[in-house]
Amino acid sequence: MDVVTQMQRQLIQYTSSLFQEGFLDDQFNQLQQLQDESNPEFVVEVVTLFFEDAERLLNELSKSLQVEQESIDFRRVDAHVHQLKGSSSSIGAQRVQRVCIAFRNFCEQQNVEGCLKSLQEIKQEYSLVKTKLETLFKMEKQLFAARGSISR
Amino acid sequence: MATTKFRHVFGRLWGFATSCKKNSSTPIGSRILQRDVEKEEFQYASTLCLSKYYSVFVVRLAIMVMLAILIGLLTILTWHFTKIYTTKSLNSLAYDLRYELLQRPILRMWNILNSTSEITMAQVKLSQYVIRSHGNLTTQENQVEMYEAMRAVTWALFASRKALNSITVKYNNGFVQAFHRDLKDNNTFYIYSDLANYSIGASASSSNSDINYSSLSSQESWNDHDNKSAVWYRQPLDPVTGEKIGKAMQIAPEDSIHIAGLSQVPDGVASWRVVVSKFTDSPLLSAALPVWDPSNKSIVAVVGVTTALYSVGQLMKELVELHSGHMYLTSLEGYLLATSTDAPLLTNSTKPPKLKMAVDCEDEVIRLGAEYLKKSSGNKFPPSHEVHVANVRLGHDRYYIDSFFLNLKRLPMVGVIIIPRKHILGQEDKRAFKTLVILISASMCIIVIGWVCILILTNGVSKEMKLRAELISQLEARRKAEASSNYKSQFLANMSHELRTPMAAIIGLLDILMSDDCLTNEQCATVTQIRKCSTALLRLLNNILDLSKVESGKLVLEDAEFDLGRELEGLVDMFSVQCMNHSVETVLDLSDDMPKLVRGDSARVVQIFANLINNSIKFTPSGHIILRGWFENPNPCSDNANYLMEEKNLQCAQKTRARQHENHAKRTSKRDNKAILWFEVDDTGCGIDPSKWDSVFESFEQADPSTTRLHGGTGLGLCIVRSLVNKMGGEIKVVKKEGPGTLMRLYLRLDTAGDDTEQHCLVDIANNGLVVLLALHGNMGRSITSKWLQKNGVFTMEASEWNGLTQILRELFHTRNSAGINNDFDLHYPIHESLKSKLLSIQEIKNPVFVIAVDIGLLDLSTDIWKEQLNFLHRYVGRAKFIWVLNHDTSNTIKMELRRKGYMMTVNKPLYKAKIVHILEEVVKERNHEMQKKNMDELHESDYTHCDAASSDDSDISESGPCNPVSSTNHEKKSEKVEQFHRLSLYRINNCLIGLTDEHSEANNTPKKEELCQNNQNSPKSLSPEQDYFPREAHQGEDSESRGKEEHRIIGGSARPVNGKKSLEGLRILLAEDTPVIQRVATIMLEKMGASVVAVGDGQAAVDALNGLLGVEDFRRDSNLNERNTRSSSSQTEILSFPSYDLVLMDCQMPKMDGYEATKAIRKSEVGSGVHIPIVALTAHAMSCDEAKCLEVGMDAYLTKPIDFKLMESTILSLTRRTIS
Repeated sequence: MDVVTQMQRQLIQYTSSLFQEGFLDDQFNQLQQLQDESNPEFVVEVVTLFFEDAERLLNELSKSLQVEQESIDFRRVDAHVHQLKGSSSSIGAQRVQRVCIAFRNFCEQQNVEGCLKSLQEIKQEYSLVKTKLETLFKMEKQLFAARGSISR
Repeated sequence: MATTKFRHVFGRLWGFATSCKKNSSTPIGSRILQRDVEKEEFQYASTLCLSKYYSVFVVRLAIMVMLAILIGLLTILTWHFTKIYTTKSLNSLAYDLRYELLQRPILRMWNILNSTSEITMAQVKLSQYVIRSHGNLTTQENQVEMYEAMRAVTWALFASRKALNSITVKYNNGFVQAFHRDLKDNNTFYIYSDLANYSIGASASSSNSDINYSSLSSQESWNDHDNKSAVWYRQPLDPVTGEKIGKAMQIAPEDSIHIAGLSQVPDGVASWRVVVSKFTDSPLLSAALPVWDPSNKSIVAVVGVTTALYSVGQLMKELVELHSGHMYLTSLEGYLLATSTDAPLLTNSTKPPKLKMAVDCEDEVIRLGAEYLKKSSGNKFPPSHEVHVANVRLGHDRYYIDSFFLNLKRLPMVGVIIIPRKHILGQEDKRAFKTLVILISASMCIIVIGWVCILILTNGVSKEMKLRAELISQLEARRKAEASSNYKSQFLANMSHELRTPMAAIIGLLDILMSDDCLTNEQCATVTQIRKCSTALLRLLNNILDLSKVESGKLVLEDAEFDLGRELEGLVDMFSVQCMNHSVETVLDLSDDMPKLVRGDSARVVQIFANLINNSIKFTPSGHIILRGWFENPNPCSDNANYLMEEKNLQCAQKTRARQHENHAKRTSKRDNKAILWFEVDDTGCGIDPSKWDSVFESFEQADPSTTRLHGGTGLGLCIVRSLVNKMGGEIKVVKKEGPGTLMRLYLRLDTAGDDTEQHCLVDIANNGLVVLLALHGNMGRSITSKWLQKNGVFTMEASEWNGLTQILRELFHTRNSAGINNDFDLHYPIHESLKSKLLSIQEIKNPVFVIAVDIGLLDLSTDIWKEQLNFLHRYVGRAKFIWVLNHDTSNTIKMELRRKGYMMTVNKPLYKAKIVHILEEVVKERNHEMQKKNMDELHESDYTHCDAASSDDSDISESGPCNPVSSTNHEKKSEKVEQFHRLSLYRINNCLIGLTDEHSEANNTPKKEELCQNNQNSPKSLSPEQDYFPREAHQGEDSESRGKEEHRIIGGSARPVNGKKSLEGLRILLAEDTPVIQRVATIMLEKMGASVVAVGDGQAAVDALNGLLGVEDFRRDSNLNERNTRSSSSQTEILSFPSYDLVLMDCQMPKMDGYEATKAIRKSEVGSGVHIPIVALTAHAMSCDEAKCLEVGMDAYLTKPIDFKLMESTILSLTRRTIS
């Protein structure tokens, strides 16, 4: 049982570090609360959805913001970022959400440079949060495997 | 001074130039902040103005200098022309004059010389003739005869020329004959040598004559010898006749006159010389000519003629006397010949007298003149040299000096004339000087005056410039100040989200903490305290942010239609709860002509009054707070009159207003939709010092700082109120009032929403024979209500305490029935006169309906007496309708007792118009109903329960009430009435949630009803501890986040775990959301709450889902069955399986069709069907304008992403509650 306790502790520590470092916020807790016996994979499901959605949006954004493009459709970019903001806030990916807000401001100003910078930032933040969350899920899975059920 | 000015100007111009350079040197492409640019522009402008200002200075100076130069030139020219030409002409005239003057003595001189030479010549010729005629002079007689003849001839000549001084004839034998005229004593003498001597010597002379003839060279020596030895005689003569008048006297030879001898004519030609005689003090001119003998071989005699120059001097004197000048003649050597003065011409000191040099002359002027001439022309006076000097200073005066050269043969002469300049140009010089002085002084005056004029004329300009410069600097300062204050406001406005979010989070977390069961009591108390503090802080924050929002101009007022009366009633309801503890009565007194629907920002209007009432409550320990409101037509004159009247007589304000309203009702403003709504908040608190009446509306200003300790507060409330009122085009001020307390009067300019049907419902009440007995505690509220009822034709009676009530009751019913049931009271309480008259008038009413409104507070609740009192009243239940006015804290036992006794009409305090109207309508209707269908057996219970949480949002939704599926399932006859009831109540009662307890209602509705009851009963209680902050949060509705938190506390608190059921059990919700993540999260959330969810991906799908199913209302299925299907979230099949939805959650930004469009489409399709499905917006935009947009397109509520579990729950509950019930 030591292994399980240790893993459990690790998991808790890791989760709290995610909160402390600002990757996640309260919304993620809410998600976890929503998860129960009836849909045990809820968090993973939602987060996976988020990943898919975010990747799609990021692709769209990169396309829209290509430098060669003569005129950038800021409204379109804005709409994409808005969506990304909504989905990221829904899973509690706080840092992505913040960059999204900045991104939208740049969009309003029609500042291409700022947009590109923000896009890079978003990509970075996204990949960060993705790795973190994947690690988290991995740990949970390991714990689950070790114990049979996840204990929070 | 001028130089410093110039320097200053120059410095400015230099600065300007450099600044220009700076401006131009900044690269255009570089990014300059807007403010900096503005600033620079501004500086540029100001520099421009300043340079203008200084250029005016320069121009002024230039004008001055030019004026000075002009006038100086003019002066100089004038002087020059007047002076020079006169001087020139005068000079030429003077020259002519001098020349003329000098010419004349010279002519005279010439004349003299001529005449002298003529005389001499004549004498010579005559002598030659006489001598020739006496050719042989051998004898003495012949000789004497010849001498006699000579004498006669000579005399003739001498006498003919008066001016001659003397004529002398000297013969070669030494004999001398001379006539001499002494000009001084006018004597004439004849001078001759001794004849006898010559006669002796005649023989010798004859011999000598041969010698003489032979050798001329010996003559001179002879003559000299002869002169010494000869004896001369002088014989005076008669000057006219030449007769000898006296004896001849012997004189020394050549003693008296100069006798011209051979020495004078050495070469035998005529000679001239100036001689000096012993007897005259003037020089003499003498001419000598030899007389040749006939053979022309020898000189027989020498004739000499002398003329005095005295007459020349005399003439000169005469000539220059007129001009007070001087004139003199000199010989070439410089000896004076004649002067115009009396100064002696000869030196007296030496013997014999000699001629004086001109430079030695005794006359100073002549001497100086001569010296000057000598100096200027040197010692050698050149012949033919003429000198004309115009301006010579001799002594103290200036003179003209002119000299002329007169070249006579053997006697060259120089004439000099000296005329004082003063004499000729004296006046001229003086005048010229005066003219110059006058001219200069005049020009100076003109210059000075000109400068003064320029100064005065340009002073205005420069002053203006100065003022402008000042203005510019002040503008700049003001701009700076404004900018800094603007920064502050903007900062705060921008910070609003950042500030509120953590606060909301703190409060939310505290709520979570408080709901935790494992807290100890102590911890719980602490957390509660923290929560209170947090809410207080949030409130303060909200105030500041509101203020800054208004100040920074970011506050945008909504423009939506709302029911003002309903809002205010809600407000008063709310505050009355708060007042309960203070024993303060809150009264709402709105006039009947208030427009029901107005356009504006309801939340802000409510905030105004919330702040005002809150303020009043804070400072009113006891008494009442009245919120009055009346409508005013924008008609200035009548308004003013009314206004004044009102000011004067506050006591009869009601009456005045009533009259005024009648007037206004007639001329409702149809041309202008803007209505002026007047409001008064009247309290009986401590009041405000008149000196603070204006300042209380300033930020952080409190009437009495010491009250902060007692009452708290920051002083922002009134400031916000004023800002908002001003923003709505109104004004607020403190008005003087009689008695203690404060009277705040304000007006708002709001759009009225067309003409609404006024007082339509009141018709029902009037003329129905209603008699209302108001047994209410609060005096103010009671009297206002009573007056209003009376005005509307309802008979009222008032009682303020239990005893009064019983007395009236007894009088009312016992007299009518004439059979007393309880006579005990009759004796104790004699009837009041006024009451009696009222009773009499009541008796006249046919078929009266008695309505008795009893304040529960009239009963003695402290003991058990109230039960008896209740029983006492119960006796009258058949004859009168009882309305129980409950307090918020009325205990359940009392309510239960009332219900047990069958009292159905209860109403919460405060009792205001709308409630009364509703109750009375109810009564009237009931009576009519009874009369019509007396056999109808039905049970009807109305439960007027006050629901504080209801706000304008809720009321909107309540309109969908009648159409919800629950009510549609009621097929009984009664349902018709229920419907009717609903409709009426919807208009009249905004915040009274009507719960209908229907025994025949279907089984599946029961749990919801129970829940609702629970909800209703709980809500007042859950409300009370939060009175502090509730008014603001609940009614402001502007910041979704904070509001949401609060709301969920209030409503959700009751809904959540109370009965262990899922709060949204049985609700069918359509979720339109494109983002899969959110879709999934929301779905799970909703399902957790027990709702069944259908998710669609865009607006079009949502519209389709609704439209396709609107018709099939009857088709129902248990929602729980479909839960499984929902989870798979593929839409179309599920939609078909869902007959209808209770609510739609609509994302705003979606592909294909966004939330706004979808909502519009849904609402459009609803038109006519009477269906209203609640739509809740889901958006990530957290701005209030988005909220406004959402509500505008027809959505009912508004949720922000990320979705808050509790907030969503509460919102959905509030929207669907009526649907469930």
